[in-house]
Amino acid sequence: MKSNTWIALALGVGLLVALPTLTTPSLLNASIQMLIAALFACAFNVLCGQGGMLSFGHAAYFGVGTFATVHAMNAFNGEGLLPTPLMPLAGAVVGLLVGIFAGWFATKRTGTYFAMITLALAELLHALAPHLKGVFGGEAGISTMRMPAWGFSFGSSTEVYYLTLAWVLLSLGLLYLYTLTPVGRLTLGLRENTHRLRFLGYDVHRLNVTVFAISAMFAGVAGGLQALNTESANYVLLEGHVSAAVVLNSYIGGVSVFLGPALGASLMTFFGYAVSDLTRSWLLYQGILFVLVMMFMPSGLTGFFGWIRASRKAHGFTAIAPLLVAGLLAGVLLSAGTVFTVEMLQRFFSQDYRSMAALQPGAGWAPIALFGRDWLPTAVVTWAVPLGLCGVGGALVFAARRMWQALVDRAEEMQVPSNAASTAQGGAL
Amino acid sequence: MSTMQPILTLSGVHKAFGETQIIRGVDLELRAGERHALIGPNGAGKSTVFHLISGHYMPNSGRIHFDGHDIQGASPQHINRLGLARSFQITNIFPKLSVYENLRLAVMRRHGVQHTLWRFINSYPRVREETEHLLEQVRLAARRDAIAGELSYSEQRSMEIAMALASDPKVILLDEPMAGMSHEETDYAVELIKNVTQGRSLLIVEHDMDVVFSLCDRISVLVYGQVIATGTPDEIRNNQKVKEAYLGEEVAA
Amino acid sequence: MENLIVSLLNGVIYGLLLFMVSAGLTLIFGMMGVLNFAHASFYMLGAYFAYALQGSLGFWGALVASPILVGLVGVVVEKYFLRRVHHHGHAHELLLTFGLSFIIAELVKLFFGNFPVDYRIPASMDFALFRLGASNYPAYRILMGTVAVLMFVLVYLLLTRTRVGIVVRSAIYKPRMAEALGHNVPLVFMGVFGVGAALAGLAGAVAGAFYTTNPNMALELGVMVFVVVVVGGLGSMGGAMLASLLIGVITSLSVGVDYSLADALAWIGAGDWAQQVGGLLTLKLSSIAATIPFALMLLVLMVRPSGLMGDKN
Repeated sequence: MKSNTWIALALGVGLLVALPTLTTPSLLNASIQMLIAALFACAFNVLCGQGGMLSFGHAAYFGVGTFATVHAMNAFNGEGLLPTPLMPLAGAVVGLLVGIFAGWFATKRTGTYFAMITLALAELLHALAPHLKGVFGGEAGISTMRMPAWGFSFGSSTEVYYLTLAWVLLSLGLLYLYTLTPVGRLTLGLRENTHRLRFLGYDVHRLNVTVFAISAMFAGVAGGLQALNTESANYVLLEGHVSAAVVLNSYIGGVSVFLGPALGASLMTFFGYAVSDLTRSWLLYQGILFVLVMMFMPSGLTGFFGWIRASRKAHGFTAIAPLLVAGLLAGVLLSAGTVFTVEMLQRFFSQDYRSMAALQPGAGWAPIALFGRDWLPTAVVTWAVPLGLCGVGGALVFAARRMWQALVDRAEEMQVPSNAASTAQGGAL
Repeated sequence: MSTMQPILTLSGVHKAFGETQIIRGVDLELRAGERHALIGPNGAGKSTVFHLISGHYMPNSGRIHFDGHDIQGASPQHINRLGLARSFQITNIFPKLSVYENLRLAVMRRHGVQHTLWRFINSYPRVREETEHLLEQVRLAARRDAIAGELSYSEQRSMEIAMALASDPKVILLDEPMAGMSHEETDYAVELIKNVTQGRSLLIVEHDMDVVFSLCDRISVLVYGQVIATGTPDEIRNNQKVKEAYLGEEVAA
Repeated sequence: MENLIVSLLNGVIYGLLLFMVSAGLTLIFGMMGVLNFAHASFYMLGAYFAYALQGSLGFWGALVASPILVGLVGVVVEKYFLRRVHHHGHAHELLLTFGLSFIIAELVKLFFGNFPVDYRIPASMDFALFRLGASNYPAYRILMGTVAVLMFVLVYLLLTRTRVGIVVRSAIYKPRMAEALGHNVPLVFMGVFGVGAALAGLAGAVAGAFYTTNPNMALELGVMVFVVVVVGGLGSMGGAMLASLLIGVITSLSVGVDYSLADALAWIGAGDWAQQVGGLLTLKLSSIAATIPFALMLLVLMVRPSGLMGDKN
């Protein structure tokens, strides 16, 4: 790796280590969740971004990791075989075993079929879980307690944070080293051309299962960290939206760069945490963002940064600066317009508002409080604001596109190779 | 020079797709150490024969015998491990990986590292050496870090040849390896093939008759899914049935 | 005995419902090679639109209008979303439809709330059609089955006997050739997508009144539809029908079976041991009836990976 990368990494790790002294306790809790989500997403990416196998049911391996760890915590009570800091190993082992079993079936098919099978396997587990109360604990789930070990009490968030950070850094390190092993390189081969690998003599099914199992194992570690953090496990962790979240997070971050999914997951978890008090429609925004990324920015955020870097090299900073400003402004305006609309609609259609309206028939529509002002649903202003925001935003997008096209045309005339920009969208692994 | 012992034999091989008979009873014999061309008009089924031999398709009937094993219907990986490697007519590479990576994947298998998780791939000096040797042989050393999908067509064809060679096979099947190459590249490739097939057996599909006549010991002519003639270049050149099949194309030259 | 017949009938009707949704999915997959993850969302939209419209159009009016609306949504999805990412490949299309299904579910929660809505069968249909022994068989169930069968017959006739059907089938089989012959293939794609969506919407409008209408129904049915498609073989209408009926009947019959593996093991004298072990062995089949289709899917994957009627490759 280049020295720039080392420096960036060192800075990042340093920041993470210093974090508890820099943030509030509630943000620290959020950071723990962000770390866990980041690891889960990177584990998912071994299978998806590197191995080319899209899994829609990865919550299963995360969830069984959580349950395994909770049971281990209850069984070993912090002493004997497994001290608290090593508890996620239980998640790893069970994740690995379940991954081998599930992977053996799922990898019998490829592509779309594979995705559907992983979904069905996760749903199977989710449907069975309430009936296996001994293992999954029923509606209330299973709870446990972190026991002291190695001189730490593990009572405070800070200690849990450092434990989580240690495991996440270790796991990410191992996952990176994995990409340097023969199996890691073959994983990329699976994504690029499974067919050819057969003719090169490889047992492709066995390879697929191996990759699946490793991905599940690290998902299990993430699940174990979840158990340590929340001191509980509940079968809602096996639900579809957990599987959906990791898919969305990974693609928003970008699956062709190693830390892309981690970035996407951290950002999305952070936003979810930060805005969950402000809005009930966070999941809708996440979905919209995902669809926008899939349509206009398929390499995700990291791909987008790569594209900016390559464009800067190809066209120079002064040329692309106005483009970026226009784009950024457009993004802000369009987001503002969308958020305004969604929030208005959400309040307008909510139970409370409807009951209130029903209680006072003939009083017309009551004003809705939003962003510090009262808006009448029937007033033109109320809908003109978001329309205006989106309109200006849309115009800016148009302008930005025109600018980009002009840049590209000019570059072609000058025969400056603009290939650098388009190839930056490709893989870095 | 070749011995007379057959290393790969097809006997009475038939293959149909639905109602359509593509291969209607092919008898073919590849002798150990020889370079054998498979020629024929377009649509004769030459690539299909390769698919049948390499395990991509299963024949409806007939036997394919390789080096003491019956391989009809065996899986591609099994056949490759027995010592038979092939290149593809339609380039079949790992597009987003580098040239070096492509060749390394082909080289790795023979070193038995496909399940190794505890060592880095870079810590296998023999893998590195073989990969670099292959790169030099097909003259792609300067392009080793280029993304395979962005190579020119003829460069990709060279990569195809290299990937077939990587597993050090006893029998190599090359499917139109020189398609898209310039004259100079073709000459180089012919010399390369002559060198690397020393001590191996080669079955090659080719349309360029100069290449066929300069490279090969024997030629089989496939027409409508049947081999109508097998023999040395001279025998084939003077064969009446072959001339008729080609309706006056370059064979008469 | 009557219980058995009732269960069978319920199972067949549920299976026909599954088929209504998976037929559209199979058709779209056969045509475009993309699995529309949002297909079950069309089913859900059908129920919700019908619910929203029944106030102004009445139950039957809503039943007709809702599929048309859903069809329009399908057309919009195909034209403005799917077409744009077509060149990125099938995985990309799958992900996009996945995202769309996510958005649709959230929008439903936005407009209708995160709980089931009171969409129910009209009083005019709330009667028993006939008696089977001690039980009354609801007329509405028969209606659902009839709609499904009618739909199947109509689509079959449309595809095989009309000119439009021939064009559609040729576009499915060889799109470029059909285009070369002057047919507007993109329009055909859009049309088939819309019709497939409308069929799913019709299924939703009809079934939503009988079963619950809630924001989760897309995922619940969606997973079943995927199981149908894996078991039946993607691309095979006959397979989809067979698998739908199989899954419908098995699920329905299992609900009435109050036995567990432990009871079965009691036959060979291992009953007590099984009871002691507990867990999976003492689970009654009726409790886990919903998971039987998944087990069937795993079985099919082991024994016949390309599905019951899919092509072996």
